Amino acid sequence: MSLIEVRALTKTYRQAVRQPGLRGAFRHLVHQRYTERVAVDHIDMSIERGETVAYVGPNGAGKSTTIKMLTGILVPTSGEITVDGIVPHKRRMENARRIGVVFGQRTQLWWDIPVIETLSLLRDIHEMPAQEYRKNLDFLTELLGLDEFMHLTARRISLGQRMRADLAAAFLHSPAIVYLDEPTIGLDIAVKERIRGFIKQVNRELGTTVMLTTHDLGDIQDLCRRIVIIDHGRIIFDGALAEMTDAFARERVLHFQLRTPCPTAEQELQRIPNVTVSGLSDTELSVRFDRAFISARDITGAIMQIADVSDFRIDEPSIDHVIKRVYDGTLNLAVRKGGGA
Amino acid sequence: MKAKYLSLASRSMQNSLAYRVSFIVNMSASVFYILAMFFLWRAIYAHRTSLAGYSWNDMKAYLLVSFLSSTMLSWYSESRMSSRILDGSVAMELLKPIDFQAARLAETAGTTVFEGGVSAVLVTIVLIVYAGVMTPHSPAAWIAFILSFAVSVLIKFGVVYISSLFCFWTSSGFGVAWARAAITNLLSGALIPLAFFPPWLRATAYFLPFQGIVNAPASIYLGQATGAAVWGTLLVQVFWCVVLWFLGRFVWRFAVRKVTIFGG
Ligand SMILES: Nc1ncnc2c1ncn2[C@@H]1O[C@H](COP(=O)(O)OP(=O)(O)OP(=O)(O)O)[C@@H](O)[C@H]1O
Ligand SMILES: [Mg+2]
Repeated sequence: MSLIEVRALTKTYRQAVRQPGLRGAFRHLVHQRYTERVAVDHIDMSIERGETVAYVGPNGAGKSTTIKMLTGILVPTSGEITVDGIVPHKRRMENARRIGVVFGQRTQLWWDIPVIETLSLLRDIHEMPAQEYRKNLDFLTELLGLDEFMHLTARRISLGQRMRADLAAAFLHSPAIVYLDEPTIGLDIAVKERIRGFIKQVNRELGTTVMLTTHDLGDIQDLCRRIVIIDHGRIIFDGALAEMTDAFARERVLHFQLRTPCPTAEQELQRIPNVTVSGLSDTELSVRFDRAFISARDITGAIMQIADVSDFRIDEPSIDHVIKRVYDGTLNLAVRKGGGA
Repeated sequence: MKAKYLSLASRSMQNSLAYRVSFIVNMSASVFYILAMFFLWRAIYAHRTSLAGYSWNDMKAYLLVSFLSSTMLSWYSESRMSSRILDGSVAMELLKPIDFQAARLAETAGTTVFEGGVSAVLVTIVLIVYAGVMTPHSPAAWIAFILSFAVSVLIKFGVVYISSLFCFWTSSGFGVAWARAAITNLLSGALIPLAFFPPWLRATAYFLPFQGIVNAPASIYLGQATGAAVWGTLLVQVFWCVVLWFLGRFVWRFAVRKVTIFGG
């Protein structure tokens, strides 16, 4: 059995409907109306020990809701979850011992005491042996550069420092699983990279299973082999990152550097199906093609005959581009569902 | 007690030191309030020697106990509990292997040690400077008073904890805290000794937990309760303390559904 097993997991929220204005407010007092909103809709997922999974989707897709159910603080409307053999919301405390959580929008640091004091409080809360605490603290201090601000109160530190401290708090008790809900939100690129490096190293050295939600594609590319995309509460893709880019981004762009202008290129290339000229200037010619129908080799061959090429390069599709198109609905992934990494 | 709760209490004490200025402001508000009461009662006693069984000396001692009680578990602990619920950070608490109620008690205890220290100093000064205030008659009465006072803080915790849980249903903590303070102040005897109440209200007050907050320790301090009555008073206080603890757990189980079922 996998470390995390999710079957037909569903969460329906009840949202109050209020008519606008004072009248609406009064009416709501006497007669409350609600609508149901399905935030997570029958999702299935299995996560193995040691995996790093990116959980992505547009705003309001249901990512945080899923994470809350996995951590045990939200009770599912229906469906099943087991994490390391236990049902999180039924045995919340036991589950809490084995997991670390960062909600990027919140902090678990005490506002008015030094960061190090929050960490030593967590040591006691998790009943950690002194030796293990020292070891983990040293490890975290080095990777996250905590000593820069360890003795300041949380009120006094910057957002990036706070996030690093929160990560330290989440990883302190050597949890088997860590859920990170937008751990890089609002951070500059240097801090982001430091955090990514940290997550990678912990995952590699300690085998910690990591599930993270993010809107930052750099996070995904850097950290995760597996990506799960959720939209409107449904999982629309679950598989290897490379597989996704392969399967759904067959589009490639070839750029040719021209020694002499080639004004006839467009005309000439019209003969070849599935190829379009996407840019033409005196010095450069770009053509877009679908790799399923024609190979780069054939196109290059054809172009070499009509133009004087000095150099060329090929653009792979960025995940950025692919995911954006999935969100937009211009790329339909509904057929590709299921299957782990 | 488990190490984790002790640790929580010590962090809470540290944290409250960051608020020492507000504490002192708050404390001086209590001082002014008690001074106003002092002058009011002095005017009332100007032409009387006794009122509802209280001499002027008794009344001064009563005011002292009432003051002491008002400085313990102040707005700070109360607002910290309710804001946890109101700002949604209660979810973060649920992610820790810790009992919510016990954790709040530990935090409150940490802060109360600090508050208690400050008010003990104040009261000692009053007792020395203003020698006219009577003290418990015997060392045994002192011990009984200190015990009773300690339990009174636990009762106050029980009341405050349950009332903060109502913040799960309201979207502001002010109304809840106001109502809680008004009821507690009246029925505990913090404003006026219960002996001054009309009989029906006095009888009601004696049946409720609030009297354990001021009335009970004051009656021991003043020597109104002696011998077996001291034990009786303490026992009733402990009874309420336990009842409120379990009532708190019961309300919590409903309240927490707001987070776990409805998502906050
Ligand atoms: N407590 C709640 N009560 C009612 N509806 C809620 C509640 N929490 C979330 N929702 C709704 O559920 C849906 C999913 O929300 P969720 O927070 O899981 O999205 P998300 O994928 O994390 O989005 P984001 O990327 O913006 O963080 C949203 O439509 C939201 O309005
Ligand atoms: Mg979210």
